[in-house]
Amino acid sequence: MSVNLFSLRERLGEAGALIAFSGSFSHSLIEELGVAVRKYLEIEHVQKSAMMDVFSVYVEASQNVRNYTSKKLKEAELHINASSIIVIAKRDDHYEVNAGNMVEQVDVAELRERLEELRLLDKAGLKALYKEQLRRDRSPESIGAGLGLIDMARRSTAPLEFEFAPVDEQYSFFSLRVTV
Amino acid sequence: METLELANTTSTPSVNFQAATGHLELNGESYPENSFDFYSPLLSWVREFLDTSTVAVRFKIRLTYMNTSSIKSMMDLLDLLEDAHTGGREVTVTWYYDEENDRALEMAEEFREEVTLPFFVLPNPAA
Repeated sequence: MSVNLFSLRERLGEAGALIAFSGSFSHSLIEELGVAVRKYLEIEHVQKSAMMDVFSVYVEASQNVRNYTSKKLKEAELHINASSIIVIAKRDDHYEVNAGNMVEQVDVAELRERLEELRLLDKAGLKALYKEQLRRDRSPESIGAGLGLIDMARRSTAPLEFEFAPVDEQYSFFSLRVTV
Repeated sequence: METLELANTTSTPSVNFQAATGHLELNGESYPENSFDFYSPLLSWVREFLDTSTVAVRFKIRLTYMNTSSIKSMMDLLDLLEDAHTGGREVTVTWYYDEENDRALEMAEEFREEVTLPFFVLPNPAA
């Protein structure tokens, strides 16, 4: 295997990547990258509201990946868990938070349906859904509140973009892009 | 009743809950690994405090960032205070927001919409 990281870096550069990480997500890693994202945006003199939108979407997206993979994918499947990825990119005058992880085939249909629903809602519809979910009882097996995707959609300046790439019988690779 | 004091970390706020004076404060940012685990002891403390004393409650919140699962836990906390308020307890909540961040005000307003207790939203002088 060649040790050509330059071509990998070039591909990331073409995608406008400011910060990219691929591997198994831990909470401390999410914290560290988050601090780095904010430092970077501060240096760029990005407005506070925009900076906090990027940071917020980054936190929700990466915690979603971490929560899903740590709940679903056991240690025996570490290679699956380690294929998670987050890329924060700048394109023209906006930022993109891209997050990807393996999802079990059995979860694809429901997740796709939720995302399609969010894509159809305008800001008022998203707020109403957010408030409804805020008042719903926490699902016992989830450590999240079911608000992450709605919150990302509210902050996004474009409808959420997503893709499921089939990997094998058991898994698809889920990619999500949020534009801020 | 013991006071509840916790130092802040990168992803959790400092906590200063004083039973004797009824002054409750949260300062910092909130996106813990597991918000439910972080907020459960706070909720238990507030529940016991409301049950065992009649001191007026002054809750001051200076949170510059909250993730959605922290928002959910904050709603649980505000619901406890709302119930106490409805039951005749003197309760005020003051939410200090960062003026440079439009979303911070929006988030505070969205919490205020959920309760009827006295809820003040003020710019944070320290921000």
